[in-house]
Amino acid sequence: MNFLAPWALALGAAGALGVLLLHLVAWRRPATFLLPTARFIPDRRLLVSRAVSRPRDLLLLALRMLVLLFAGAAFAGPLRTGQRAPLARVVLLDRSTSVASRADAWQRVRMLARDGAPALLIEFDSTTTAPRELTAQDTIDGPPRSLVAHGSLSVALASARRAAGALATRADSVELVIVSALEHAGIDAATQSIRSTWPGAVRVERVAARRESGSTASIERAVPLSDPLGPALVRLPVRPGAATVRLRRGAPLTPGDSTFASAGGAVVMWDTSVAPLRAEGLAHSDDVLLALLGRRALPTAAVSIARWSDGAAAAREQPLGLGCVRTVGVVLPVNGDLPLRPAFQRIVQAMVAPCVGAATAAADTGAPPAWLADGRAAAPSSALRSDIVPPSRLSSSLFALAMLCAIAELFVRAPSRAEAAA
Amino acid sequence: MTTGPYGPLLDAVRGVRWPAARRIAGATLGAHPSTLRGNSSEFSEFRNYRQGDDPRRVDWRLLARSDRAYVRLTTDRATLRTAIIVDASASMAFPSATLEKWARAREIAIGLAAVAHADGDPVGLTIAAPRPTTLAPRARRSVLVEMIGALDATVPAGAEPLAPHLAAARATRVAIVTDLLGDADALLAGLRLRVAAGGEVLVVHVVAPAEIEPPAGALLAVDPEDATVRRTLDGAARAAYRRAFMEWLDGTAAVFRAAGARYLRASSAEPAARFIRRLADGVAVGGGR
Repeated sequence: MNFLAPWALALGAAGALGVLLLHLVAWRRPATFLLPTARFIPDRRLLVSRAVSRPRDLLLLALRMLVLLFAGAAFAGPLRTGQRAPLARVVLLDRSTSVASRADAWQRVRMLARDGAPALLIEFDSTTTAPRELTAQDTIDGPPRSLVAHGSLSVALASARRAAGALATRADSVELVIVSALEHAGIDAATQSIRSTWPGAVRVERVAARRESGSTASIERAVPLSDPLGPALVRLPVRPGAATVRLRRGAPLTPGDSTFASAGGAVVMWDTSVAPLRAEGLAHSDDVLLALLGRRALPTAAVSIARWSDGAAAAREQPLGLGCVRTVGVVLPVNGDLPLRPAFQRIVQAMVAPCVGAATAAADTGAPPAWLADGRAAAPSSALRSDIVPPSRLSSSLFALAMLCAIAELFVRAPSRAEAAA
Repeated sequence: MTTGPYGPLLDAVRGVRWPAARRIAGATLGAHPSTLRGNSSEFSEFRNYRQGDDPRRVDWRLLARSDRAYVRLTTDRATLRTAIIVDASASMAFPSATLEKWARAREIAIGLAAVAHADGDPVGLTIAAPRPTTLAPRARRSVLVEMIGALDATVPAGAEPLAPHLAAARATRVAIVTDLLGDADALLAGLRLRVAAGGEVLVVHVVAPAEIEPPAGALLAVDPEDATVRRTLDGAARAAYRRAFMEWLDGTAAVFRAAGARYLRASSAEPAARFIRRLADGVAVGGGR
């Protein structure tokens, strides 16, 4: 049991003691004395006080003390803490594409959870996921990898500071661990000031960063101009042995394609089958194309990179090793001037671009800023408690008890007053 | 005569006289100087014979010696009808444990009646209680026993006013034994009328020592005649009470004396016999204290 405001408890106890002292001072009517000359006595109060060794009206006293004690305890904000762990962790996992290997990052996270300390996991890129409990048995089947190039450390630190308030009730101190590539692009002007709100050390588990290949798209063989994609890809360089993109038109995925993708290539699966055409809107980035197009079903466990006008996915990309497999569900008309339209050409070129964040593992490019890992010890729980505490059910119960005692006091007091008046 | 516990009192006041404050016009032979001059044996003076005087009152021996006619004057004595009004209101039942004030009032009433009766005066009694008792003035021997019986049978209660009983008293001399905590103003008005009519009024103001100095400690004083008067008497109020009460006592005495009554304060701690003697010592014909 812990209290958010122990002073309120002390205040309630002091009030109860005051009530006890007041009950030791008995205000009562003095003994009645028939005095024929009473009219000559000044007309003043009818009660006199005297100190007594035993308090009077024990039931009334008990109720009044209980009202104050219950109210004081309720205001003190009792928290059931149970058994407190010496250390808890808030783990910030970078899920942006700046991390070379998500599996490696997850391995680091699981290592942190091995000691059984309470831990909250927050994945972040430009935003953060909701904090969730972390155990050593957790797997990587969380949210899919983000397409954001760099995680925002400011956002992550702010979320960690918020989440630590709840975790602080379960441990004596809280350690903040950042599992990230910690590239400079993830640090902005606010990061240092937000870091200063964390009242302890920050442990940095740095993982390998992706290094952008920097290569432009190239395909293995030229696309014939009879293919609707031909006019759009006519300028794409053809490098049979060193292509970065493998376009599969109407052919299933082969083990060779998987190997190509795992090595960092982009395998683009664009079916050529026929489907009913109708007026559709296709959007990718800032490009919008209105044309007679057909739809094809797409795998659901991948990230959308293009969408139909109704929000459905028109193309999806699934990471595979260092590369990806991209499936385009857009059926093109055989005839027409669609291949000549600039918006169509830009969308096609985006579909056959190298994988988003296609990169190779890079060595650490430098130590993280010194202020980030500043401090020697984990943050004490007392410094992390949130000012905004969710209402405790125990507090509500104590308030209810105080109210009940106050009401009972009213009923007990009324007869006592009548007796005193008599 | 059955006098019960009043025997020592009656013995103590035997021989004490309660003369009238002034000459009275009564014709019945008694002990008080009368305004009449007649044929009694108590010689007073000679006066020259005037036409119309009764020839039987001429002193013939003096006429023979001096050759002048003188009339022999004597002083007549008369009885004085006396009524005693005893206040039997609840305020007289004080202190409630001993009723000392009421006991002293009864003794004073019996003592005054005995003294008056010893002078041959007809004595009557009025007990101002919720059920008043009135004994008309009589000079017979049993009158004291009747008074004792009536007083002993009375328990002070209520707040019976005294003024109507004063107005109804058929006596030249009226003694009122009271604490004056009732209808003092009405009583004073009636008293003035009676004095103006030539009557004589004695006010015996009975005060208990516990009224001047109530018991120590904080008390809730309740007026026995008016339960709405409930005052706390504690250390702070005690001095103010005593001051107010003494001022009232002095003021009351002055007012009643100014109205022509004889006012005497009787402490309930003072033996009744001593009070009766004090009353007799201060009385002289033609005046009074």
